[in-house]
Amino acid sequence: MPEHLPRNPLRYAWEYIKEISGENAYDRYLAVHTATHPDRPPMGRGEFYRQRQDEKYNNPGSRCP
Amino acid sequence: MGNRLGRYAIWIAVALVGAVCWGVLALGRGETVNAAWLLFAALASYAIAYRFYARFIQRRVLETDDNRATPAERLNNGRDFEPMDRRILFGHHFAAIAGAGPLVGPVLAAQMGFLPGTIWIIFGVILAGAVQDMTILFFSMRRNGKTLGQMAREEIGPVGGAAALVAVLAIMVILLAVLALVVVNALADSPWGAFSIAMTLPIALLMGFYLRFLRPGRVLEVSLIGVGLLILALIGGGWISESSAYAEAWTFGGVTIAIALIVYGFVASVLPVWVLLAPRDYLSTFMKIGTIGLLAIGIAVTLPVMQMPRLTEFASSATGGPVAPVGPLFPFVFITIACGALSGFHSLIASGTTPKLIQKESQVRMIGYGAMLMESFVAVMALIAAAVLDPGLYFAMNAPGTVTGGTAESAASAVTGLGFSVSAETLSSTAANVGEESIISRTGGAPTLAVGMSQIFAGATAFLGGLQAFWYHFAIMFEALFILTTVDAGTRVGRFMLQDLAGNLYSPFRNTSWLPGNIITSAVIVGAWGYFLIIGVTDPLGGINQLFPLFGIANQLLAAVALTVATTILIKMGKLRYIWVTLLPLAWDAVVTLTASWYKIFSSEPTIGFFAQRSAAIEAYNAGENYTGASSLAQTQQIITNATVDGILSIIFALAIIIVIADASRVWFGLIRGTKQPEMSEATYEESHLDSEGREIEREPVGAGAGSSGTTPNA
Repeated sequence: MPEHLPRNPLRYAWEYIKEISGENAYDRYLAVHTATHPDRPPMGRGEFYRQRQDEKYNNPGSRCP
Repeated sequence: MGNRLGRYAIWIAVALVGAVCWGVLALGRGETVNAAWLLFAALASYAIAYRFYARFIQRRVLETDDNRATPAERLNNGRDFEPMDRRILFGHHFAAIAGAGPLVGPVLAAQMGFLPGTIWIIFGVILAGAVQDMTILFFSMRRNGKTLGQMAREEIGPVGGAAALVAVLAIMVILLAVLALVVVNALADSPWGAFSIAMTLPIALLMGFYLRFLRPGRVLEVSLIGVGLLILALIGGGWISESSAYAEAWTFGGVTIAIALIVYGFVASVLPVWVLLAPRDYLSTFMKIGTIGLLAIGIAVTLPVMQMPRLTEFASSATGGPVAPVGPLFPFVFITIACGALSGFHSLIASGTTPKLIQKESQVRMIGYGAMLMESFVAVMALIAAAVLDPGLYFAMNAPGTVTGGTAESAASAVTGLGFSVSAETLSSTAANVGEESIISRTGGAPTLAVGMSQIFAGATAFLGGLQAFWYHFAIMFEALFILTTVDAGTRVGRFMLQDLAGNLYSPFRNTSWLPGNIITSAVIVGAWGYFLIIGVTDPLGGINQLFPLFGIANQLLAAVALTVATTILIKMGKLRYIWVTLLPLAWDAVVTLTASWYKIFSSEPTIGFFAQRSAAIEAYNAGENYTGASSLAQTQQIITNATVDGILSIIFALAIIIVIADASRVWFGLIRGTKQPEMSEATYEESHLDSEGREIEREPVGAGAGSSGTTPNA
């Protein structure tokens, strides 16, 4: 999560876009994983991403027209 | 306190700006009004509503408690439950609720003049739509993210719950059919549009492959590649439309496009998501946010003048105007503009994904109320885009073929008959400017919005030589893209709901990866909306007119279910004195929806009432004549069938509303009289260990209250 979103508006926008598009989801996972389970090897980027995508669409919410 | 005075001085200034703008909009004497007045009236109203009304609801009615841990914190599993930064969640929630609805409805409602639509979009969102989104979000969050259907069953009872479930499925089917119909109407006989939309398929396949295998998870990268290819496809479409041989090969009739959409919907629902659905989702989200942003910039830069009068004579006519859905201003404007003012669909999102991600209870105001204000602002911009068009052009584009006659000359004289004026040359030259054969009777709202947007964008990019045709197809592409994303995602959601239902009869259905079950349920859902799509496309009277009211009624019906659930929970929380917050919008919504249903069922006017139309068509058929608009007896027969099906659906929807509200009233009176115990299924209280930025906090000194989300109204 962007605890300290930068003050510079351009950098802010860039961080926001990375965050909202899910671009840095894996980096976040990696940070949390190494902090909480340093003993277990983390998933690779591809595996993490595939798992996340399958989960998201197997559990669909709805959307507005 | 000088500080306090300063703070209120700002709000007094905002209120004054809003009042002046509303005054100019409603009472001005001039022929035309600049869109700036509308923009600032909207923004000032939103700001005041967000600061005062939403805060009142948050603090007094819901009593959000930031010391209470949200399900995201308590059940954090790093996947569906996870505390998400409020600004990011706002973006996600907005992207999920923003669809084609707020773009199409205001365009169709503009036939009454811009004022009725404006008033309903702005006051509807403040008093009804945003309230619904925020309260449902809060109640679902207090129940660990239960869905609307589950809440209806638990808080009202099995009858209300079952009616809600049936309503959701039926609405989904009608919604998908209507949206697909909007796309068909925009792409039929348009080689440029058909080519560029068809190209989104290979682009999506490529993106899916790239994202899955080549560079997994590089979402931004692949989205940029996708958008780039999309622009190329748009330019390519322009070449296609100029070369007569290719143009002919890419010109398809409505039925062909409808069948292609049905096949596409089925395939996309059955295939693994990464092949088509997920990459299209990225593409359409990018395009959606980007285009909405562009439209805002375009309007702000050009500040266009609205040509549409405040009120047209159709606003006071008992039979309404020529543009679908036909009917008097009350109640039809209120079911035409659904999203943007009050949309039942949002209650499905507010009670599914979003509540599991909220960090702090008080943030329901920013995310529930705030995102809905932004959606309403999108509707305001769509209304502006339609209102900047010359009214004569607007009516030539939106009146059905039975009125315009289909050619530029007949359309020009029909528009004169409606009390506006446009020359046949203007109609032809406008079509040529946007790279289309004809723009007569391009109903459904999407082409009108695209012409309006292309005028605004061309105005803003005048230094590049305008590029109106490019911008028109850009707008069409953007609308079609995200309608199609709704179609494939909606088919998938419907398939899951059906699999869950069918699982009660035969348990393997519940396993969503069981292929036969997957294929059968996908076929049922696609078959259902495909049926309505085909009858809409082939309808001699123009399918939009038949189906759009059903769509509007169904959406408002779902809002009625949501507001009923919210009212029930408010009573159970002991908030009887604030019950008007949801009860008044519910009452209004019920009156609107039931009146509209009443018109569709009982009106003796064949252009409005389904059964009146049915009897008139039967009479014609028995006399061996063609019904108005039909060119053969078979078409007359078709009108009879369609009117019967649509009429029966209207009855079902009306009954569903009555059942839900009656069942809930029984519960309400029991609760108020004390004969019923207020049992709630709220999750138990646990103390929060996060601050409003999601950081762990020391728990000794309990920090009091909210004070977190008061940043910007985001609207």
